Amino acid sequence: MIKHNLPLEYTLAEGWLQPFSSGILSGGAVARQCSSCTEVSFPPHRTCRCGDTRGSWITLDGRADIHYRTMGADGDFALVKFRGADTLCTVKLCNFAADQRVGQLRAATTGQSLPALHLYPVQEHT
Amino acid sequence: MRSPSGVTVTGAAVTEFNRRRDNSSFRDWSASAFEQALRMSGLERRDIDALVVASESDFFTLQLNPASVLASDLGLTGAACSRVEGGGASGQLAVHAAVRAIQSGHIDHVAVIGVDPSASQLDPATVKSLYSYSFDAWTDGMSGITSTALYALSFQAFMQHSGLGISELAEVTRQNRRNATHNPGAHLGRTHTLDEINQSPLIASPYRRLHCSPLSDGAAAIILSGSRLTPGARRAAPSIIGIGAASDTAHLGARENIGSFAAKTRAMQRALKEADIRIADIDTAELYDAYAGAQLQAIDALGLSDNIATDLLDGAFAPTGTMPVNISGGLMGQGAPVGATGVAQTANCALLLEGRYHPPLQPSALPRIALADTHGGICTTAAVTLLAGARA
Repeated sequence: MIKHNLPLEYTLAEGWLQPFSSGILSGGAVARQCSSCTEVSFPPHRTCRCGDTRGSWITLDGRADIHYRTMGADGDFALVKFRGADTLCTVKLCNFAADQRVGQLRAATTGQSLPALHLYPVQEHT
Repeated sequence: MRSPSGVTVTGAAVTEFNRRRDNSSFRDWSASAFEQALRMSGLERRDIDALVVASESDFFTLQLNPASVLASDLGLTGAACSRVEGGGASGQLAVHAAVRAIQSGHIDHVAVIGVDPSASQLDPATVKSLYSYSFDAWTDGMSGITSTALYALSFQAFMQHSGLGISELAEVTRQNRRNATHNPGAHLGRTHTLDEINQSPLIASPYRRLHCSPLSDGAAAIILSGSRLTPGARRAAPSIIGIGAASDTAHLGARENIGSFAAKTRAMQRALKEADIRIADIDTAELYDAYAGAQLQAIDALGLSDNIATDLLDGAFAPTGTMPVNISGGLMGQGAPVGATGVAQTANCALLLEGRYHPPLQPSALPRIALADTHGGICTTAAVTLLAGARA
């Protein structure tokens, strides 16, 4: 058996996803709105489900409601709908109690370079 | 049934699937499977016009362009060689590429090899991280969601509309692992109790460790031949009668029905149309059960049952049932070296149709039509293959 360590340091170009990834790092949810059917996708779709590639970037408030949630040794993850979006999104839940259903994106902490979709709990009063 | 596609499975072989600790490599396993399949075919290596290799990731093999290396190892230098990749569907997609190459009329005999060292070359935590990039790397991957968590979210949605749940997960787990106890090449032949399953560690609710397929090492090979050039001794070999592939949105959350494997349904419809058969004509199926719930979602998407809960409890999917599913043990029992799985499924189906499968698992009545079903991502890339025995 041969031991071999291969460190890989990528420099990733963001391409058309740049508004999305920059938004995540600054704590915002930048979504794509289709020019044809007005559907708002988050994460953004380059080509809308209606087939149109024309669209504009819009900024949502970064707040999301949990639809499905899974917990266990792999962590705490959910399918959520960001308010103002028409599609669901997978996120990592950070410090959520079992009964908490609403969360908010936060700006990246110092040293965090990946546009990771991490949601933090918020209390809403009705 | 439409006349056969003109593609015969002249050779088929599957190595043991397990975690190798014997200093053998993916090149050894590929050679072992290939030599066995070639012997079965009655062909010489000089007869092979092309090699198609299925391997999910260079991260696992640490070998870019693996087809070129395997072609040299196998004495196939001079043959056309390529690698096909489609996540978990890689193996079936390689089979499809070979089928279409033969049907083009330019190729007579193709060797298809599926292989991956998913268990022994990297530690499990690294493999788990890499699998996250099987989905959209920029959203799912960078958020750190695991394959198990993503499948768990999809299965939760499936539970809501199907009424299936924890007890069905346990039954699939018991059945596939029990089948694998009779498969000498299986990674996880086990006779689990319900308590063992339901008390195993929670990985991503509702999935527990025993609901998950293992990481395995191994290889599978088939030799496909144009029917008019099939060696005389293999005239009664099974044929591939229909193939179908389709895709779904990469983002689970963008789907109309989160719990439904719609790409599988489309792929199946295309394969059925090509074969000109009905679902009711299928006698046995090897399904993609990366997780116990994925098998239930596959049965639903493929239309193999009108009442999955009843059929499961009545034993319809057992080896002696009316629609045996995963006689081999599936990914959960036989194991899951990713690139090898789809090729192994096709090999298993061919051997079952010929009556050459492991004797304790070979149905007493020879099946006539078999289905092999795989997918990559969260059923983002789906591929199914229909095979018919010589009597069909």
